[in-house]
Amino acid sequence: MTPARRTSALKGGALLVVVVLALLVPVFAADPATTNIAVFTTMYVGLATAWNIMGGYTGYISLGHAAFFGFGSYALGLLLAHLGIAAGYTPFLFVPVAGILTVVIALAIGWIALRTRAATFVIVTISCMFILQLLAENLVGLTGGGSGLSFPVPTWSGDFFNTPYYYAMLVLALVGLAVSAGIRRSKFGLGLLAIRDDEDKALAVGVPARGFKLTAFVISAALVGMIGAVYGYYVTYIYPQFVIDPLVGLSMVLMVFLGGLGTLWGPVVGALILEPAQLWLSYNFGASRLYLVFYAAVFLVVILLLPRGIVPSVTDLVVRWRHGSAAGPAGGSSETREALAAPGVRSP
Amino acid sequence: MTLVPQAIILGILTGGVYALMASGLTLIFGVMRIINVGHGALVILGAYLSFALLRSLHIDPFLSLVVTMPAMFVLGVVMQVVFVRPLKGDREALSVLVTYALALGIEGLLGFFFTNNYQQLNAWYETASIPLFNFRIAYVYVFGFALCLAILGGIFWMLYRTTFGRAIRATMLNRTAAQLVGVDVDRVSALAFGVGVATAAAGGVVFGITNVFNPGSHYDLISRLLTIIVLGGLGSLRGAIVGAMVMLISTDVTAVVISPVWASFVFFVILIGVLVVRPQGLYGITVRDRA
Amino acid sequence: MRRPVLTTVTSILTVSALGLTACGSSSGGTGGTAQAGTPITIGVSVSLTGDFSGDGKALVQGYDLWAQDENAKGGLLGHKVTMKYVDDASSAQQVVTNYQNLITQDKVALVFGPFSSLLTIPASTVTNRFGYAFPEPAGGGPSVFTRGIGSLFFVQPAAVEDNLVSFTQWVLSLPASQRPATAAYATEDDPFTQPQVDRARALLEAAGVKTLSNKVYPAEATDWTPLAQQVIAANADVVILGTQEPDGVAFIKAFQQQHYNPKALIETAGPDQGADFSGKVGVANTAGVMVPAGWYASAKSSGNAKFVSDFTAKYGGAPGDISGDAAEAYSVGQVVDQAATKANSIANSALITALHNGTYQTVQGPMAFDATGKPNGATFLVQWQNGTPVPVYPAAAAIAQPVYPKPNFGP
Repeated sequence: MTPARRTSALKGGALLVVVVLALLVPVFAADPATTNIAVFTTMYVGLATAWNIMGGYTGYISLGHAAFFGFGSYALGLLLAHLGIAAGYTPFLFVPVAGILTVVIALAIGWIALRTRAATFVIVTISCMFILQLLAENLVGLTGGGSGLSFPVPTWSGDFFNTPYYYAMLVLALVGLAVSAGIRRSKFGLGLLAIRDDEDKALAVGVPARGFKLTAFVISAALVGMIGAVYGYYVTYIYPQFVIDPLVGLSMVLMVFLGGLGTLWGPVVGALILEPAQLWLSYNFGASRLYLVFYAAVFLVVILLLPRGIVPSVTDLVVRWRHGSAAGPAGGSSETREALAAPGVRSP
Repeated sequence: MTLVPQAIILGILTGGVYALMASGLTLIFGVMRIINVGHGALVILGAYLSFALLRSLHIDPFLSLVVTMPAMFVLGVVMQVVFVRPLKGDREALSVLVTYALALGIEGLLGFFFTNNYQQLNAWYETASIPLFNFRIAYVYVFGFALCLAILGGIFWMLYRTTFGRAIRATMLNRTAAQLVGVDVDRVSALAFGVGVATAAAGGVVFGITNVFNPGSHYDLISRLLTIIVLGGLGSLRGAIVGAMVMLISTDVTAVVISPVWASFVFFVILIGVLVVRPQGLYGITVRDRA
Repeated sequence: MRRPVLTTVTSILTVSALGLTACGSSSGGTGGTAQAGTPITIGVSVSLTGDFSGDGKALVQGYDLWAQDENAKGGLLGHKVTMKYVDDASSAQQVVTNYQNLITQDKVALVFGPFSSLLTIPASTVTNRFGYAFPEPAGGGPSVFTRGIGSLFFVQPAAVEDNLVSFTQWVLSLPASQRPATAAYATEDDPFTQPQVDRARALLEAAGVKTLSNKVYPAEATDWTPLAQQVIAANADVVILGTQEPDGVAFIKAFQQQHYNPKALIETAGPDQGADFSGKVGVANTAGVMVPAGWYASAKSSGNAKFVSDFTAKYGGAPGDISGDAAEAYSVGQVVDQAATKANSIANSALITALHNGTYQTVQGPMAFDATGKPNGATFLVQWQNGTPVPVYPAAAAIAQPVYPKPNFGP
């Protein structure tokens, strides 16, 4: 076997192991406390990966993605209520429908927001999120307003309940990763990276920037919307301020930055670290009110020491160790791909 | 319907408060091109500092500014030097995260020292009011507005009449060019950040007198401030003032004419409307904002 | 590239393994019945941080006091009680996690409810599927009872929606010459405040009291001056406000600032917070302000004298300073104690059956729960007079006459 094929085989093998382990989580760790954390963690893995498709590959940082999370939740809840779907496995089949509805709203928001750039874009996405939250709260006849919206409640036993939701989240996370990986290999992905590096030059070279940006935005939003739908079904009752919550939007961004913006596995690593840590810290230290301070401190340390995130920094370290301190990452087509994928140093 | 003129007047008075808070934020963006997501938390910190002085030493909130503004100026400079200056790489995005982490840290510390109960800065004269037409305006609103005018005036004076101000404006226009003509951009950035945080202290006092607050109040506050500066144009002081006025007047009038629940919605719609036509905001300058 | 992929895969596996082991992986059954005499833990998710933290603290005081009193008399059916509190940061995601952790990891014997309908509803779905009884002190909005959860019990005299009914009955009982002809309403769009105000408005409108102004405002508002000005401009005889404490205080201050004196004023929450309320508005300004209540300090309800004296002994302050939330929490404990005695068991299934039958005596008076856990009583009307809140209506509960019209606010 040639070295290249060996590498691909190893890569494929490692991936298979990860997926199989993920599928077996409810078997090793069957108690609901753990599967509950698994549900929320996998949820964030999916959210971070989806957000990265927009924020990581195009460089457009959206802090309003929680809007889609909430929209997807409400979409599923309203669908289930109006169509009279009973609790059980059937509601999961409607999650993709919620995703399609999210595509519609994402097209509208994206068309407006993508007329702006950089810092203005960030703030416009935040504003759009607040607009959706206000609509959810005030269109009482439609959404229930401040009193919230109910989902049908499955009658599964306490021990089993979390498992179907975990698998639903896992499927969405894997789909997100597959889409993300697919984009990286495609011409579309190359176009997105070009936009990130210098949008005007990309336009000059012929990259259809507006169309590509909007597509990435919509794909990212649809995934987030579907994850939001499963979340709503899991907690069984949603309120506008809990489901269109700026903190959810910020958390997914933080996870991507922690793990490595623009990489494939960075968002996964970021989510796997931050979400269980946050749930655990809050459960054990919430009462002391200092857990926010710890969280912030850990954050600052990571950002200042590892500004590119964990995955690129660790990769660099390993490569440097392997090749000796003389040369940095250089040569080799797959290395160029990796270098392209992580944002480089830019002048302040 | 006297409710509308009443709403407009109140909108102007409270608009001044938000203009003051937004001015620091837009100044920081203009000089360093970073979005200080922690600005809301700094305003709340200023409010709590004044609250602590009021509670333990019975110092009037407006007078406490003599202590809190310099203290927060120093804090601002330190924050910039320690947390912002070392950022390499994608500055704008990383600055959002760093300042958010700082905001969380501030929220946690405030919660620890002051608990999460809602507080308000109570001046002994807070229920005294002056009659105007057929309603009354509380003194605290008037003093607050006067303070905002004074400080904003001070900032304008600094920007347009001092050498330091000229250095700031140069850095805002083009950082590299400013360096070429000899401006010490690092020093200017740190000091400008300090000024921004000092205005947050003042904003904190006025905000704290007219609103209840607790450590978690910064989320709502920062989102309003960010939308104000975007409407006005990032980096433009004039824009911050006009943006604040537009926001507060439109929300107060909508609350009266339609319903309070739709008040913020109307503001956001105005914002989106302006941005669709003019993405750089009302007074923003179109600069190549990548690099 | 081989190494980076392996590095990332290894780091993912290590992190996940660490994460899962840290959380514990024992396959567990649900908390079962404890052996006779063994100490038990009761788990509660409370809002110790976040928006509801003021009320969270009062709940903790009430629960702790109950645990203390219970242990002093030998424990719950002989089992010594320890309370375990976890913070839900006023977040739905955390409250769901908390009850799952409490039940399956910490294996608590019983659970009590958190603060507010917002958190109670998602929490109740969790506790219900594990078969736990869910007596809760503070989630009584209409949606709480419509979800088919048979294990939930709202331990207050009446469902939230009916809180202002006593007030409307009082207003309509006034002689025609004195009765208010007009009303102004303002409420937060919150599941606690809005249902009660809407119901009160429906009842009063049906009886001919004209609505001059009806405003709903966002729960996140922090400057209520413009809203207060709208209420003032309506110049109605009676003002009904759907507030929590911060806005309740703010409206009164604004009314005082603007020299506005309605003939009657009732707020859904705020004036029930004892010294916290009077300290913020000024004792002189409390005169005549009304609030619906399920409890007051000098009530002759079951265990109340002991509750009040033990509370002031443990936490200091005067009886009038005690917050209603603490009394609600204490009632939860009382109800569970009586149900356990009646069923002669602390097993959750037995408690659930017991709680659906019969009447229970608490510091808030007697209460009984229907199949959905809704209580079938009524609140009474409390009015501040001479710096203390006293019940004034209905006659059976009153210890003073209602003062009408309300005295003017201070200078």
